Amino acid sequence: MKKAISALLCGALVVPLVACNGGGLREKYAQQSLEKLYERFEGDIERGTAAKPITLHVLENDTAKKSGYLKELLDGFNKMYAEYHIVAIDANQDQFSDLAENGPYGYGPDVLYQANDILMRYCDGKHIIPLPIEKLDAYEYLPDLVKDTYTYSLGGHDYFMGVGVNMQAPMLYYRKDLLPENWETEWDADGNGVFDPIEDMRAMYRWSIARNAANSDQYGFMQSYDDPYFSCGYLFSYGAYVFGDDNTDMSDIGFDAANAELGAGIILQLAGVMNSGCVDNSITVARESEFARGSYFAVPNTQDMYGTLFSETVAAYRKQGMTAAEANAAANENICAVPMPDLPVSGDLTETEGDTIESIVMGGVSAYAISSYTEYPKASLAFLNYATSYEQALRRNEVLGIAPARSDANADCTVQADVAHSLLDMYNDNRISVMPSVSGVSQIWTPLATAFTEIATDPYRPGGKKFTKQDGRPNYVTLNALLDDLCDNIYNAIYTLA
Amino acid sequence: METDNIYHGRPPFFKRVGQWFKAIPHRFNAYWRGVGKKFAGIPKKIAARAHITKTSPKPVKASMFLMGLGQLMQKQIVKGILFLLMFAAYVVYMALAGGRAMYDFFSLGIILANPWLGIKGDNSVVMMLLGILAFILTGFYIAVHLANIRDARRTYEFVARGNPTPNFKQSLGSMFDKYFYVTALVLPVVGVFVFNILPIIFMIFLAFTDYGGEVVTTGALVSWVGFANFKRLFSMSGLGSTFVKILGWNLIWAVMSTALNYFGGLGIALLLNKKIVKAKKIWRAFPVLAYAVPGFITLLAFKFMFSNQGPINYYIEQWGGVGKLFLGVDSKWSARLIGWIVNGWLSVPSSMLLATGILANLNPDLYEAAKIDGASVWTQFVKITLPFVIFATTPVLIGQFMGNFNNFGVFYFLRGGIYCDGYFLASDTDLLINWLYNLSINKNYYSLGAAISIIIFIISAVISLFVYVKSPSYSKEDMYR
Repeated sequence: MKKAISALLCGALVVPLVACNGGGLREKYAQQSLEKLYERFEGDIERGTAAKPITLHVLENDTAKKSGYLKELLDGFNKMYAEYHIVAIDANQDQFSDLAENGPYGYGPDVLYQANDILMRYCDGKHIIPLPIEKLDAYEYLPDLVKDTYTYSLGGHDYFMGVGVNMQAPMLYYRKDLLPENWETEWDADGNGVFDPIEDMRAMYRWSIARNAANSDQYGFMQSYDDPYFSCGYLFSYGAYVFGDDNTDMSDIGFDAANAELGAGIILQLAGVMNSGCVDNSITVARESEFARGSYFAVPNTQDMYGTLFSETVAAYRKQGMTAAEANAAANENICAVPMPDLPVSGDLTETEGDTIESIVMGGVSAYAISSYTEYPKASLAFLNYATSYEQALRRNEVLGIAPARSDANADCTVQADVAHSLLDMYNDNRISVMPSVSGVSQIWTPLATAFTEIATDPYRPGGKKFTKQDGRPNYVTLNALLDDLCDNIYNAIYTLA
Repeated sequence: METDNIYHGRPPFFKRVGQWFKAIPHRFNAYWRGVGKKFAGIPKKIAARAHITKTSPKPVKASMFLMGLGQLMQKQIVKGILFLLMFAAYVVYMALAGGRAMYDFFSLGIILANPWLGIKGDNSVVMMLLGILAFILTGFYIAVHLANIRDARRTYEFVARGNPTPNFKQSLGSMFDKYFYVTALVLPVVGVFVFNILPIIFMIFLAFTDYGGEVVTTGALVSWVGFANFKRLFSMSGLGSTFVKILGWNLIWAVMSTALNYFGGLGIALLLNKKIVKAKKIWRAFPVLAYAVPGFITLLAFKFMFSNQGPINYYIEQWGGVGKLFLGVDSKWSARLIGWIVNGWLSVPSSMLLATGILANLNPDLYEAAKIDGASVWTQFVKITLPFVIFATTPVLIGQFMGNFNNFGVFYFLRGGIYCDGYFLASDTDLLINWLYNLSINKNYYSLGAAISIIIFIISAVISLFVYVKSPSYSKEDMYR
C-alpha cells in the first residue's frame, strides 16, 4: 500500500514539474526599463558617521597586496575621504573570486580589480554596473582598444563597464649578457645593430639550434605550449581569431581561420628545438630560475612576472660573486624585453630569406569596476576615480612595474618604461588581440591547451608522428584538421549543453 | 560438480549469473503482478480504514479532526495543548511562508533579477530549496498528526482497561523509558534530514531543471524541464559515447585499484607478520609515513616526478634511454598505470593497518591444524587467512570500492586540463566524478551534473548492495562468532 501511494505521489509530482515554470507571469515581469540606470550616481556622495562609517570592500590582485601597494592605495583614499567617514578596506577574497556567485548573496566586493575576460563575463548577469562616462576622470586618456574592451552592448545601447589600469601581453624577455661575442658579425645580417634572433623568429630558430649544439644544457628560445595565453599568438599572427564580429559572435570560432595552420607549424618547429618540457608546464615552472642561470636565453613573459625574473637574476649574479648593487645594476642592464619576433610569411622557420609578418599576441587589460550590489555607488565611484588617477597609475607602475593603460601615465612612467611604451604601441598597431570579454571565453582554454600540447608532443613521439611529414616538415593538412577539431570542441563546449 | 545438469552443491558462478539474467522477465512480471494486486486491494483497504474510523471512540475521532483535541477530551491537558500548538505553528507557517514556498517550488519564480536597477528578483534555486523544506515539514506534520491519533487511541484503550489516565509527567517519563528510542532518535533524524536528505533531494530535483550554462551566468530564472537532461545524456552522440567510455574505464579503475590496494595492504601486513622479519615497527612506519602526507601533495609530487623534465625522465636519459611522456595526451595507459601506482601509494598503508589488526585476532591453532593436515602455505592463505580477512573487511572493502569509484583527486591532479579525441569535455583517464566536475563546476552545467550524479549513485548503490548482500559478512554473519 505504502509503495503504491508513493508511486502515485511521485507521478503526481512529475506532472506539475513539467507543466509549471511561472507561466505567462514571467514575461509580464520581464519588461524592465533601463531609463533610471545612472541615477544611482547622481547627487552628493554618501556620508557615514564616526560611529558607523561607510565601508567599501575592494578586491585587488595578490601582487598588489604582497607589494604593499594596496595598503598605500587604501590609506591614501581613506585619508582623502575621512570627512565623509568612508573607509575602503581589502575585501580579503581570492583575486579570482566570482562576483556572480558572491554578489547576489551580499558577499561580493564593492569595487573590484580583475582582468577583462573575468570582468566582462559579469555583464550578461548585470553583476557590474555601467559607469557614467562623464564622471570618469581617466576615460579620455584611455586608448580606443581599451575603451572597446570595456564596452558592453545590450538592446542597441553601449555601456561602459570598467576603467582599464594595466595593459598586459607576452613579450620576449632575453639576457643581453648572453649574446655571443661575435653577434654583430654573425647574427646581424641586416646590419641594423640588433641581434637578429630577437627580431626574426627564423634567426631565433637557428640560434636555438646553435646554442644547444654548443652546450646541450643551454637553449635559445624556451616556452611551455600548454598555456594558451602565450601560445595563441602564433595562430593570431596568421589570421586566426577567437570569436567573430570583434570577439562577440561566439558561434564563429576562428582558431582555424585564414592560415592558422602555419602558426601551428611554427609551434611544431619551435618545439623541436627545445626539450620535452615544452609539452607540459616544465619550462614555465623552471622559467625564471633557468633564465637567471643562463640556461634559457629568451622566454616569453608578462610584465607582472618581471619582478621574479629580476630577483632570480640578481640572486644568480650574487652567486657569481657580484655585490648586491652590482647584481642589481647588471640585472637592470641585461634583462631586456621586446615584442615577440617577426614570423615568416611562409611559416617555414628553416628559410633564411623571404618576407616576414609582425607577431600578434594575446593580451588583456585589467580594470576597476563597480559591483551592482554595492550599497554605496557614489562612494565606489569616488574610489574608482581615485585608483585610476594619473598619480595612482604612475605609483602602480613604480611599485608593480605594470604598463599603465592611461596614455598620459604611460608616457611618463619610469619602471619598464620601454616595455610600457611598446605595449601601448602594440595596442595601437593591433599587434595585441585582447582576450574576448564574452561568457564563452571560459570554454576555450582547455581545448586550446590540449591542441597545443598535441602539437608540441609531435617532435617527442617516438613513432607515428601526427603532424610531421617524413621529410621533417610540418604536415599542414593534419594541423589544419586539428584546428578544425579544436573549433568544433569549443563550439560543443559552448553550445551543445546550453 | 555436474552430473547430467544436476549440481551437487552450488552451480558454478557463471551459471548462476546466467540464471539470474534468465529470471529477469519472470521477476519483472512478478513485481508488476504484485503492484497490480496492491492497486486492486486499495478500495478494500479504504473501506476497512473507513470502518475503523467510523467505529473509533469519540476522543480518537476528535484527534483525527483536530490535533490534540482527543488528548484534551481525555484530560491530558498539557499534551493536548502541545499538540494544538504544533498544529497552530504549522498553520501559521503555511499561511506565512509554507504555502508560498510550495507554490514557488513549482513556479521557480516569476520576477527576473536586474541588479542594475536594484531589482533583486526571484532566486529559483532558493525557492526550490524552500519548497522542498515546506514539503518535508508537511510530511513531518502528517507524521505528528498520525502519532497524535495513535496516542489518543492508546490512551483510550489504556483507560478502558480500568487504568487511570496517564498525566503529563508519566507521558514524559515514558519518553525516557518505553519510548526512549524515539527520544534518542529525534535529533539524529532531524540532523539527517537537514544535512543529508535535503541536499540529496535538492540534487535530485536539480536534475529535472535547466540550471546551467547561460541560466547561471545571466542570472535567469530556472525552469523545470522534466527528463530532458537524462534524454540528452543518452541521446547526444558525443555525450552518450563519452559516458559509456568513462563508465567502462571507471569500473575497471575501481575494481583494479580496490584489489591492488587491498591485496597490497594484506601482502605487506602478512609479510610484516612473519617472525623472520626484524625491526617490524620501523618497517610498518614507512607506509604510514606515506599515508600521513596529505594526498594532494603526494599527487603533485608524483606529477612532478613523472613530468617530461622530471627526475624519472632525467634518470632514464642519464642511463642512455629515451625520455617518455608519461602523462601526455597520447599516454592513456601509462597515465592510467601511474594512477594505479599513486593510488596504491596513498591507500595501501590504510589497508595494511587494517589487515594487521585483523590478523592479530586470527587463531594460530588453525594454522597448526592445517599444517598437520598437510595444507600448503598457499592453501592455508586461501582457506584460512583470506576468508577470515574478507569476512571482517567486506564493508570496508565496499567503502574502498566506492571511494575509488568516486576518486576525484588522482587524475585531477595527475592529468587535469586536457580533453582527448572522442571524449566530450573529458580525457581518457577521467573518471565519472572528474567528468561531472568538468561539466558542473567548470562549465556550470549543474543540472546535467545532477543527472550524472543520480546515475553514479544508482550504479554505485546497486554494486555495493549486491556485493554486500552476497558477501559472507552479510549472509554468514555468525561464521566466526
